[in-house]
Amino acid sequence: MTTAQATKRTMGAALLLAVSLALALVPTAAEAAPGDTANGKVLYEKKCWWCHGKTGEADGPAANFVIPPPRDFSLGVYKYKGSEPKAEVVRDEDLFRMISDGMPGTSMPAWKSVLSDKDRWDLVAYIKTLTDMFEGTPNPAPIDLSGKIASSEESISLGAKAYEAAKCFECHGVRGKGDTIKKLKEDSGKRVWPRNLTKQWTFRAGSTVEDIYTRVTNGIPNTPMPSFYSEKTGEGKLSTEDRWHVANYIKSLEETQKAPKDGETVVKGMYVAELPKSEKDEIWNEATGVAFNLVPQIIAKERFFIPANDLIYVKAMFNEKEVAFLLEWDDRSKSVPGDPVAEGIAWDTLTPDGVAVQTSVVIPTAGEKPYFGHGDASHTVSMLYWTAGSVETGPKEMIMSANGIAAREPGDAKAAGFTTSASYEMGTWKVMMKRSLATANKEKETQFEAGRYIPIAFANWDGSNGESGSKHTMTTWVWLLLKPDTGSEVVVIPGVILILLVGGQLAMAALLRKKKS
Amino acid sequence: MKLQKMLLTIAVGYLILKFGVPLVGSWLHPGAWPVIPTSVMKMYMTFVIVGSVLVYTFDEEGYRQIVGPILDLYGDPGKVKYCYAATLAVALLGAWVAYEYVKPTFDAPVELRSVHPAPPSSVKMWGKSYNLATLENPLRADKENFAKNSEEGGVVYYQNCFYCHGDLMDGKGHFATGFNNPLPANFVDVGTIAQLTESFVFWRIGSGGPGLPGEGAPWLSPMPIWHTLLSEDEVWKVILFLYDYTGHSPRVTEKHEG
Ligand code: HEC
Ligand code: HEC
Repeated sequence: MTTAQATKRTMGAALLLAVSLALALVPTAAEAAPGDTANGKVLYEKKCWWCHGKTGEADGPAANFVIPPPRDFSLGVYKYKGSEPKAEVVRDEDLFRMISDGMPGTSMPAWKSVLSDKDRWDLVAYIKTLTDMFEGTPNPAPIDLSGKIASSEESISLGAKAYEAAKCFECHGVRGKGDTIKKLKEDSGKRVWPRNLTKQWTFRAGSTVEDIYTRVTNGIPNTPMPSFYSEKTGEGKLSTEDRWHVANYIKSLEETQKAPKDGETVVKGMYVAELPKSEKDEIWNEATGVAFNLVPQIIAKERFFIPANDLIYVKAMFNEKEVAFLLEWDDRSKSVPGDPVAEGIAWDTLTPDGVAVQTSVVIPTAGEKPYFGHGDASHTVSMLYWTAGSVETGPKEMIMSANGIAAREPGDAKAAGFTTSASYEMGTWKVMMKRSLATANKEKETQFEAGRYIPIAFANWDGSNGESGSKHTMTTWVWLLLKPDTGSEVVVIPGVILILLVGGQLAMAALLRKKKS
Repeated sequence: MKLQKMLLTIAVGYLILKFGVPLVGSWLHPGAWPVIPTSVMKMYMTFVIVGSVLVYTFDEEGYRQIVGPILDLYGDPGKVKYCYAATLAVALLGAWVAYEYVKPTFDAPVELRSVHPAPPSSVKMWGKSYNLATLENPLRADKENFAKNSEEGGVVYYQNCFYCHGDLMDGKGHFATGFNNPLPANFVDVGTIAQLTESFVFWRIGSGGPGLPGEGAPWLSPMPIWHTLLSEDEVWKVILFLYDYTGHSPRVTEKHEG
């Protein structure tokens, strides 16, 4: 009782304080302060060592369970450097920014929500003492951003040329999907994936044109991402103008429509009289896709912590007979065992890429669903699975059902009318799966029905990341809704109501007037 | 007068549901903006409208004040222009409401689940049976090794839990984005471990999502069944760590309070 009251009062006070602070501190540019290393150490030993290690050598208990690995502070080499290009070290402001804002797409969180400005400056001061790189080095000047070239069609096309000339595509792919042709490592020997330049919400250090220009100019130290700055333009380098053009070009590659949106959990099944013939069919452009985050399977043994693919983009169409899914995901390589390019990039043993759609066999009415991980003893799930197979066998599809992880059963793909078609192009897989709405095996296969909310989940295997079996990425339950063709009803019903209401009111008015006179 | 008041009440009701509720929600759970789902919103608005009409037309006087101006508007030959305008406005509103009902939407169905369902009286884990009413954290009394035990709990946390529950313990770990309902528990929030006894937390961790009773929608929670992956000692240690790191204290069972 008293604690609850006290909590309420503290929360009230905290809110008041927060509001007044927010009003008082209209964001002033954070200014470098010398920093109290003793306080920094205390904070570090409470909050940071779990990943970065007790002495900053990136050997904390979580270090081997995250990709990318935590920074090794004992080396003093930082990735996101905003100093002028000739400087040896990062600026204090860079460290402050990374600690404050965190690094999207990694496990490094944004600490500004829990630590004060002063605490974060104290941490900057402290982590600088973990290496001798900063000894006797004054804080370098920031990179010069004054030559910014405004984005325009011309600048973007010059940027596209620079992207080609500087061979960015060798690592980032022709369309920027990160489909590298090289096996890339950090200096530490750990694997690093080139960034997918179309998913700018995963950029670690911001995605404004200025941020991108800074990365292209300074490179990303400790990784294969080179610096394209040189006092003279030379082999593999870019002029200041070209670096601005390429930054404008990269910015134009952003695919925000494929970013997952908060709270969007329904695959929008669209009615068409005739279903698409393949994954490339233009009819697919008419359907609205929904993006879902993929996370690794960390629930059942053997658990998996270091994924590569992070997103699946799903469309669905149906007619009176069949349902079709288009599953689209950006993938660093076309992993088909036996393929020499894929074998060259693979980190472990190359396994085939794959994708699966899981649906509940019983369409729930009162909320009760199967357990999302392969169902359970009393709730069966049905699975449509596609694998890239191998160079010899070619791709394969399988239909399965399950009542729990250990209770999986193969089904008859032909009888269920299950077919697939797939292709990989410039960093993106597209797999179409088609199945009859109704099948004979009603106990083990979902009978798709229009107008019902059907629990659906997805799983994905990235072969160049060595994924197979329980090592894969996935979503939990979302919904599939095959929306019946509303046809003219959308116009007719409101129209009729409109006419009725106008007529009714006019009649009433006429009656009232008559009564009055 | 009353007519305007009634319309105002309905408008205020709408604004409260549309913006007030999420505002309160965002204050209780910083970072969230929990809007009322459309289907529920329609239901609440029906209550608001029917309720307002009932209340304001409850007595004779109120009825006259509300219905009077309407009859006047439609019936007065001098107000024909206004009458047509009102007719059109009402008809358009009706058509719009009808359109809202029939237009194709893909709103997810509303799923309700109990967040802290009542625990069973005993649970079986690691081949033993635990009485949750009397169970206590055996490490809590060991003041001497508290720091060591808590740190070891931290290691368990950072090798097993932080992916979802986050480094900041706010339920926003780097894999939390894969889950929509329920989201991983936010331990900093006053509504989770701060309200619970250590035995409850022990049960929730040990038996995970699938160990929830029906009202907790066990088919939804991705929380693993930790007694299959961790030892009993590790679970008690990670509980010690959670309270230590967040600064919350566990709720004690009533008999200790008395
Ligand atoms: C959950 C693990 C985790 C915790 C806890 C953590 N970090 Fe990190 N940190 C990382 C990872 C992973 C990276 C590297 C990401 C990359 O390479 O893209 C990183 C990178 C950094 C960088 C380097 C930025 C750069 O430009 O190279 C700094 C500075 C940093 N962390 C500071 C901190 C501080 C200070 C704390 C404690 C308040 C902390 N970290 C806590 C995981 C963590
Ligand atoms: C030799 C391979 C290689 C080349 C060539 C290369 N990059 Fe990169 N790039 C990488 C890698 C690897 C990363 C990711 C580093 C990491 O996450 O630690 C990266 C990251 C990036 C980022 C992300 C920055 C952020 O904040 O997350 C951008 C933008 C980028 N590169 C642009 C370019 C452009 C533009 C070019 C050509 C002018 C280019 N890269 C050439 C390997 C390369």
